Amino acid sequence: MSEVLYYFLGFSAIYILMGWALYLPYRVGQLNYLIVACMAITAYFGGFAAREWNWPFPVILIIGIMISTIIGLIFSQAIGKAPCFTVVIVGLTSVFIVKTVIENWKLLGGTVGFFHIPNVNGMLIIIYGLLILVGFLIYRIDHSRWGRAASVVFVDKDVAVSLGVDIKKIGMFFQIVSCAIAGMAGTLDAFLVRSLSPEFFTFGMIGYLMCILFVGGYTTMWGVIFSAFFLQGIPLMFPSSIASWRQVIYGALLVLIILLRPEGIITRKMLWRMKPKAYFPVNTQIKNSKS
Amino acid sequence: MEIFIAQLISGLSLGSIYVLLVTGFNLMLLVAKIIQFAYPQIVVISMYTCWWALKITSNKLLIIIAGITVSVALSLLSEPIFRKISSIKDVDINATFIASMGIAMIMMDVMSHSFNYGFPVAFPPKWIGGNILSFGLITISKGQLFALVGGVIAVSVFFYLLYRTNQGRFFRAIAENRLAAELVGIPITKTSIFSYFIVGILGGFSAILFSMLIGSASPWLGEFVALKMLAVSIVAGLGNLHGGLVCGLLLGIIEAIAVGYISGSWSNVIAFVIMLAVILIKPEGLFGTKI
Repeated sequence: MSEVLYYFLGFSAIYILMGWALYLPYRVGQLNYLIVACMAITAYFGGFAAREWNWPFPVILIIGIMISTIIGLIFSQAIGKAPCFTVVIVGLTSVFIVKTVIENWKLLGGTVGFFHIPNVNGMLIIIYGLLILVGFLIYRIDHSRWGRAASVVFVDKDVAVSLGVDIKKIGMFFQIVSCAIAGMAGTLDAFLVRSLSPEFFTFGMIGYLMCILFVGGYTTMWGVIFSAFFLQGIPLMFPSSIASWRQVIYGALLVLIILLRPEGIITRKMLWRMKPKAYFPVNTQIKNSKS
Repeated sequence: MEIFIAQLISGLSLGSIYVLLVTGFNLMLLVAKIIQFAYPQIVVISMYTCWWALKITSNKLLIIIAGITVSVALSLLSEPIFRKISSIKDVDINATFIASMGIAMIMMDVMSHSFNYGFPVAFPPKWIGGNILSFGLITISKGQLFALVGGVIAVSVFFYLLYRTNQGRFFRAIAENRLAAELVGIPITKTSIFSYFIVGILGGFSAILFSMLIGSASPWLGEFVALKMLAVSIVAGLGNLHGGLVCGLLLGIIEAIAVGYISGSWSNVIAFVIMLAVILIKPEGLFGTKI
């Protein structure tokens, strides 16, 4: 497999995971950028533990997920039912704090970056195996009582409360799960790239994740898969002179999609229409009898 | 003690610019009902405009006019986009935040590609000016004085406009109840466009004061300022103009004092940790939200 294809597939999978991490809390109307901070923390933790302490990859992965779950748990206690914009600011502030700590911590390489993370064989297979696992988990959540309750919370919080939905609990649940997924993505990213830089975890990344979620479609989990591959492919599709303007392309796509198709390219209605229709003989009889 | 006083003066100067930014942001939120994340990017482009104008002319009035004109033009250019988004059915205020994030991405990438080849720019000493008062460790630079006095004048004029003119009454009426304001004959669209104009002027003025105070501009400055502006608006309470005034000044003072006693970029982290703690403890803001 060529190096370009290897990294294209690897990054696409990691961004699908991050896109899902952003998608889940948005089910209840919250944009949780804390996932980027969690990704940075677990990526650096993973890289450091592997290089300096020679910890095995599975242990690092599990501890990484645990760390980000705990972070999610702590933060969600305060912002579990906070408005979207408050959650945004908490996330942005956390990203900035984590980035500054990394930049000033010589042990983590500072602004230069962290290199020589050990290689793990079959990384792409591991990433896609975990992607399918997480995808299945999200599918189950989406089709569970939690998923249905989240849909009501998104549309109308007052109606959700009147139906007995605990808004804080559901918000906390989605935030914790999204942080756990981001923790997994962070660890996988560290072992895929094998080098880390604090410049990677910035506003650019948040914008890119927003693009993945909103261009693909925020109403279903499938939109993220489509847009992660599509957006990751943009720099490869165009010549480097155009590809270097990819932030402009992503920004323009984000504005256009909100203007023209606010729910994104793949919507729930679209999937519903594509679903094969069941044959109901009773309905046909009624229809026939009327005619 | 002298260091403390010196940093306090510096903090008040910086804080007055934050107040201007937060006031503009809150005005957009209250009147136009948008979350303008790209506002600080407009300010930075306006700073670049001043830098270009300085290369052509030394006439300060022309430079100020150029900076403010660009800021007003960019602010007004974004108006049709946000008006269109607001008119879309089933789309809430979060959509304006997402679109403004896209606009911010475009502006940032254009700046990092085209403006001075992406390198930061430094304003000449004739623009920044030297120290005008020195007393032991306490020094007041021309930039600090202009920022402080300019900030106070701009905020005073804005509050005069808000509380003593018909246009200000329109602003407050729309902020209080949009539908009722429309029913009593207030021209919503016209007033909303006027708010973009006012915000453009505030942004241009902030850019001029910022360039005099910090003496440099870079494509990444907008991201940094945006984070501070948003954090202050949340800490104060979304849409709370008076709260923004207090919290903007407080952020400036905390930041300046931290710079005086803590080395490097850690000082910024202190301000953000404090703000993060306040948001986590009181997500609705210290002074309560107004939207």
